[in-house]
Amino acid sequence: MNNYLIVAGIIFCIGALGVLMRKNLIIVFMSLELMFNAANLGFVAVSNRLNLISGDVFVIFVMVVAAAEAAVALGIIVAFYREKGTVDMDKANELKN
Amino acid sequence: MEALFYIFAFIAIFSALMVISMKNPLTSALYLVLCFFALAGFYVLLDMQFLAVMQILVYAGAIMVLVVLVIMLLNISRLNAVKTDFHQKIIGIVIAVVLFAEIVIYTVGGKTKKPTGIFTHAVINKIGNTQVIGQFLFTKYTLSFEIASILLFVAIIGAYLFAKKKL
Repeated sequence: MNNYLIVAGIIFCIGALGVLMRKNLIIVFMSLELMFNAANLGFVAVSNRLNLISGDVFVIFVMVVAAAEAAVALGIIVAFYREKGTVDMDKANELKN
Repeated sequence: MEALFYIFAFIAIFSALMVISMKNPLTSALYLVLCFFALAGFYVLLDMQFLAVMQILVYAGAIMVLVVLVIMLLNISRLNAVKTDFHQKIIGIVIAVVLFAEIVIYTVGGKTKKPTGIFTHAVINKIGNTQVIGQFLFTKYTLSFEIASILLFVAIIGAYLFAKKKL
């Protein structure tokens, strides 16, 4: 189980790195999906180790939330692009001044 | 089994790295699909074939098609690619390394509990993993199931509002 958790940790950290490092909104969104999936892998691994099913059921709910999040986030990205003509996150600075 | 685990781990980590390091968002999206397939392989190794199928259908199928569609719709060329700041890169790498160190410390140093459930490998294979998940979903987790449906409904309305011409 430890191997699975460490792989999940590596993927989660890569996702976090993508969120912090990239400025392209679409790649930030895909990094978020990576983090979701790393968490899912952790749930399934622990649930398998402890002979439980709750973790596997929870993964289904995570998938539901990820699907809802994908629809809304992509809607936001399209609206942002229509407003600014770019997907650069740094252009979202109306609250700065 | 061990060999398969290392193959899937290599594919998953390599493609995850490629997702965040590619310039073109479309290449990233295709590497992300590869990463989802590797994770589906992990689920098969962990006796959850149903989740593996859901992973491929929902993530690699539905969500990634939506992402690729948006990339196509926005028509982002290489010319107006978004640059990354150097200091942002340094801060990101430091935070990710610290986070990973914490995860490794807690994973390797922590004590593992004894198995408490009754759903061993043999039991799951006897009942069938889809039946087991369905049983839990419609008995113990019915309320969560209903709330998830409301969440999806709200997401439909939200996506519609964002897609309208005027916000």
